[in-house]
Amino acid sequence: MSTSALFRPTTSALRAGLGFRGIHSSRVLAVQASRPRLDATIDANETAGFKYTPGGPILKGTVNDATSFPAPNAAHGSYHWAFERVLSASLIPVMGAAAVSTGSAYPIIDGVLAVSLIIHSHIGFDSIVVDYLHPRKFPVIGPMATWALRGLTGLAVWGVYEFNTNDVGLTELVARLWRA
Amino acid sequence: MFRPATSALRAVASASSSTATALPLAARAAAFHTSAAERFAQPTGDAPASSTGKASTMKEIKIYRWNPDQPAEKPKLQSYHVDLAQCGPMMLDALIKIKNEIDPTLTFRRSCREGICGSCAMNIDGVNTLACLCRIPKQTNTASKIYPLPHMYIVKDLVPDMTNFYKQYKSVEPFLKNDNPPAQGEFIQSVEDRKKLDGMYECILCACCSTSCPSYWWNQDTYLGPAVLMQAYRWMADSRDSYGAQRKEKMQNTMSLYRCHTIFNCSKTCPKGLNPALAIQKMKYELATE
Repeated sequence: MSTSALFRPTTSALRAGLGFRGIHSSRVLAVQASRPRLDATIDANETAGFKYTPGGPILKGTVNDATSFPAPNAAHGSYHWAFERVLSASLIPVMGAAAVSTGSAYPIIDGVLAVSLIIHSHIGFDSIVVDYLHPRKFPVIGPMATWALRGLTGLAVWGVYEFNTNDVGLTELVARLWRA
Repeated sequence: MFRPATSALRAVASASSSTATALPLAARAAAFHTSAAERFAQPTGDAPASSTGKASTMKEIKIYRWNPDQPAEKPKLQSYHVDLAQCGPMMLDALIKIKNEIDPTLTFRRSCREGICGSCAMNIDGVNTLACLCRIPKQTNTASKIYPLPHMYIVKDLVPDMTNFYKQYKSVEPFLKNDNPPAQGEFIQSVEDRKKLDGMYECILCACCSTSCPSYWWNQDTYLGPAVLMQAYRWMADSRDSYGAQRKEKMQNTMSLYRCHTIFNCSKTCPKGLNPALAIQKMKYELATE
């Protein structure tokens, strides 16, 4: 009984893979052997293949790993957000200007209003696509939706250009519909 | 409180012809069990309303049940009837009573029962809240419904799998990072700087807000959600932390932060009365203006 009790710590230490310490004869030696080793003398095969870290191993590949972030890109982050807000806010004065002016007399305001409205709508629809049809979940439909939206937006810009240059223009159209 | 004592006295009086030690063991034991709370813990087969003196009012509580040991069975709502006169005032009291007295297989998380651990977060009558802070509605004509936190993987019954939530929390490095600690003593912080942390450090990470956010429902794997974002901002706003720029740079992508569309479900549902939407908005503002 007493011999097995003496040997148990040594065998369990070996089983834990903390390195071969030898059969120690005195308590002093045992304390020294269990002191944290800050030098790089511990092999990977002593730590079951995991990298030895002073203070305790941090096992990678478990549920305790943090989630990762995509590569930072301010164009997709704060610039995009700020542009979206500035555009939305500037639509208010542009709308006001278009309401008090006539499209045929001020074609610049007419064009600015039309293009900002389209970009504003594009950002809004794009947000829907990213929320609900993100390519990581919809590898086929997702990119299709994104490109369909881009195509439609391009088509709308071209249509508005044609309408504003060859026809009465957006402001005039709204004014006529208002009076009709 | 007095009734058991008097009955014990009566027992003493009846046995007064002999000595007090001749009192039956059961009567003596009853004399020590005097509190109402202890009465609640006993099986109430006989005369349930007698210990509190209140008339019994039965309340129906429907609880979401799903057992991973029977994966083929669909989740179902199971009905339980709880006597409100025999139950504490909060939903957690009812859950514990059901588990103790009616159905020991009912599974839920709970710990502190006072709204500081965040374990008992669940969806009660359509609102994400802590069961321990949610009163049982007095209307007995309608049943209360308890579901687990919405849009989470379920471990069993009312226990959601919080692994992803904790992984996301870990990803924002929720600890002080500063390469130049003061030579001696502690970081000095002004009263104004300390005030910036009010309303954020109180978060108990119960995930009520995150799981109430539709954006988090659809994009849980990449969008961090209000609870984690508020904690991310809590460390950006800390005057003692010198890694604010790096913390902010991590958020510069489409998914992590900017899936917040200011829906405000988070601030509406927070059982601690915090405002994660405000913290997220401040973070967006700082990112845009730095």
